[in-house]
Amino acid sequence: MRIIIIGAGEVGYHIARRLAVENKEVVVIDTSSEALRKLAEASDVQTIRGSGSSPKVLEDAGIARADIFLAVTDSDEINLIACFFANMLGGEKVTKLARIRGSMYTNYKGLLMDKGAGITKIINPDEEVVNSVLRLMSVPGAVEINEFAGGKIRLIGMKLPDESPIMGMQLMHLRDRIGEDLGLVIAALVRDGELIIPSGLDEVKKGDIVYFVCDIRDQDEIVERLGIDTEPVREVMIIGGGNIGYKLAKALDNKYYHTRLLENREKRCRFLSERLDRPIVLMGDSTDQDILREENIQDMDMVIAVTGDEETNILTCLLAKSLGAKRTVTRVNNFGYMPLIEPIGIDYVVCPRQSAINSLLHFIRRGRIISSVNIRGEEAEALEVIAVEGSPIVGKEVKDINFPRGCLILCFQRGDEVVIPRGDTVIEPEDKLIIISTRQNIPKVEKVLTTSVEFF
Amino acid sequence: MRWKYVLHVIGALVACIGLTMIFPLAWGAYYGDGSAKPLSYAMFLTVVSGVVLFFAFRDPEASKASSVMTHREGMAIVALGWFAAGFFGGLPFYLAGTFESVVDCVFESLSGFSTTGASVLSNIETVPRGILFWRSLTHWLGGMGIIVLSLAILPFLGVGGMQLYKAEVPGPVPDKLKPRIKDTAMTLWKVYVMFSVLETILLMFGGMDLFDALCHTFGTMATGGFSTMNSSVAAFDSAYIDYVITAFMLIAGINFTLHYMLLKGRFDSIIKDPEFRVFAGMVVLAVIVITIAVYQGQNYDNVPDAVRYTSFQVASILTTTGYATADYEMWPGIAQAILLFFMFVGGCAGSTGGGMKVMRIMLLVKHSYKELFRLIHPRSVNHVKMGKTVVQDDVISGVWGFFILWIGLFVLAAFIVAGTGVDVVTSFAASLACIGNIGPGIGGVGPTDNFAWLPDTAKWVLTFCMVLGRLEIYTVIILFVPEFWRK
Repeated sequence: MRIIIIGAGEVGYHIARRLAVENKEVVVIDTSSEALRKLAEASDVQTIRGSGSSPKVLEDAGIARADIFLAVTDSDEINLIACFFANMLGGEKVTKLARIRGSMYTNYKGLLMDKGAGITKIINPDEEVVNSVLRLMSVPGAVEINEFAGGKIRLIGMKLPDESPIMGMQLMHLRDRIGEDLGLVIAALVRDGELIIPSGLDEVKKGDIVYFVCDIRDQDEIVERLGIDTEPVREVMIIGGGNIGYKLAKALDNKYYHTRLLENREKRCRFLSERLDRPIVLMGDSTDQDILREENIQDMDMVIAVTGDEETNILTCLLAKSLGAKRTVTRVNNFGYMPLIEPIGIDYVVCPRQSAINSLLHFIRRGRIISSVNIRGEEAEALEVIAVEGSPIVGKEVKDINFPRGCLILCFQRGDEVVIPRGDTVIEPEDKLIIISTRQNIPKVEKVLTTSVEFF
Repeated sequence: MRWKYVLHVIGALVACIGLTMIFPLAWGAYYGDGSAKPLSYAMFLTVVSGVVLFFAFRDPEASKASSVMTHREGMAIVALGWFAAGFFGGLPFYLAGTFESVVDCVFESLSGFSTTGASVLSNIETVPRGILFWRSLTHWLGGMGIIVLSLAILPFLGVGGMQLYKAEVPGPVPDKLKPRIKDTAMTLWKVYVMFSVLETILLMFGGMDLFDALCHTFGTMATGGFSTMNSSVAAFDSAYIDYVITAFMLIAGINFTLHYMLLKGRFDSIIKDPEFRVFAGMVVLAVIVITIAVYQGQNYDNVPDAVRYTSFQVASILTTTGYATADYEMWPGIAQAILLFFMFVGGCAGSTGGGMKVMRIMLLVKHSYKELFRLIHPRSVNHVKMGKTVVQDDVISGVWGFFILWIGLFVLAAFIVAGTGVDVVTSFAASLACIGNIGPGIGGVGPTDNFAWLPDTAKWVLTFCMVLGRLEIYTVIILFVPEFWRK
């Protein structure tokens, strides 16, 4: 599978590395020889120096033989032009994904996707970030939430309180403790920063973050039975009225939430207050303690710092936390800061680039894998797969499927019902399986799902 | 620096080399010449040592997909891996009793792997054929590269592969033919095998048996130079064989990327390649000048003979193969001078040839001219270009560094060899022949002599030079820089 990536920035760099590890043929184009050298040293990809919007460069990169084309430079215009030429040179069979942020373009998705550039999917990192913040708000206490089966199944990561009933318990006794009526599978445990895909013999220990999968209808019940404090989020302060801040405030513009939006540019404030109905637009600097106190920061359920400057975001969150805010969400662009966030006491991170990478990877998976998400940055992935007729896993009992170690079938959706499988459950055609796997094993999982060995 | 990981990878390499001994073993068994037993012992020892290294130094941390091989580790693996290959490659010679001393075994083995072709074997034709086959096979493995081979067949090397590839492939800026290093290595080996099969068939048409055809193909395609005859290719005394080998020596001296392009039907890329043009021009010019010189010097009494022997010797020396069909030390001064110059130049970048490479000489000349040009037009802005692409400054400074180190180490080695009591012409010629991976030199190590009579110290130094030359100095010499060992 040949994949061409335009742009060796943070998004291009990480996607290229991920795909190279999974044995795909990756060609990366960028104008900066420095960025290309860094990438070529870190992973097994081919690099071409030149502009991604130049047809000549695209031809050199082998666009005619490409399967997937990713335009992920920081410039919307270059991404669009690159997709346009890729469409001309590579034709319909090339899947084209573009990262486009400007609302002047994204408001005309249809135009870009059908006729003009034939783009298969437009990724807007800002929108993805807004969605992930909204998801976090919908389940208080979760550190990470991902959705499958069109939102019917959720993978939720939560930090368990010490007094939780399942603390210190072996996972095989989970159902006795939680109740037989609820479908719940523990997908992973994160202990001291390391991700464990557990077996029934593993225990839940203090300080673990637990990732579990459940039907969305059972979610609130499960969270309660796990002993997690479920105070709803209503008082919200958004810091930074840029693109993301504005979209977020717009989404929270209803009776349920009390939203404040802090922005330090006067003109932008006027723009925001013209367009927002309920949220209070405040003008001022986010690191000014007086403003935060005036606005009762200590009563906030959630403080969300989404300015363009990540250092400001981190410091603001720390300040808000020290002044008594309950939970904080910070936006980070630089992957280098990610491991820092949790230890210094910020509750959640959102990262537009990470979101973009996640959405792009959904599309690149082979076979019938219809979506996938990263867990804990990049350590593991949860895949959503349709068991098609003829796939080697169909008709087999779960215990006979030859998955590598570190991979689990979490649950599947059959029709409208969410099934938690046992060893003797038989996979039927059209089942939607959710599988968790460590990164190294993904190619092996793909293999099990797609190839059937024929002996005769 | 993760030493466990380095040794782990070297273990895999050694095991691979051990497995290739199955081929000489088969020939030895076929001829029943008594070489099968020592070869099977050698193979057993090598494979077992490799496997033990591989498993003893398994490091679960290092084999995680997220871990990246550093430059340093890549160079250490390649350099130490080559020395390990030389040591284990010498085992068959030692166990078969071909040589008495360890140094001779290692010299012959590394001379093979580094495609130098300098021999310490005095009477080749009395050696069992299984051993001779191994001797030639080391050429063939080392020609395209044992690391490149392992990249093609060992899946776990993929992640840090580029570091290893850069450390072994000759030339200032290695090309990546395919997005994945594994595919690149595989493609290069495919082209290499294809040419080798073709040459073997052509040589068999010329009357060689399969054994001789294979051994000479290995020597040619790798630009090595080991023969199965005491008098080298001259023993066959056939114009057809001479011309076939001449043609394939030249093919092996050209960048294999160009061969790949050619096979894909892109003829213009080879004709427009600036390095190929210079290489071809040098061959044609040298053949014309030397033919005239040897004809006038009455070394040969007819023109076809003069052309035949001249072109063979020119191709053999310029591509650093080192086969001989004539004693060029009897030729006129100008002919010898040209050949001596060619010993420095060597093949093209990305070929199996040795020497400093045509590409580097071109860059140095162009850069020097640019400096002159700047003296005339102090305000001019210009770049060194290869064809139409601008060569980055760090590449140029890398080439200058290489040039100085190459010359410096060549002279230093010559001093040490001279210090062991060898005459001055032979000392310089021998160290040039080894660092340039040529094989025969002039003086006491000319095309009709060999290296057997040199003192042991000189042989060790020259062995080291051969690896230096094959891995293009940096990869090996870096191990001797104190900074490399700091944490």
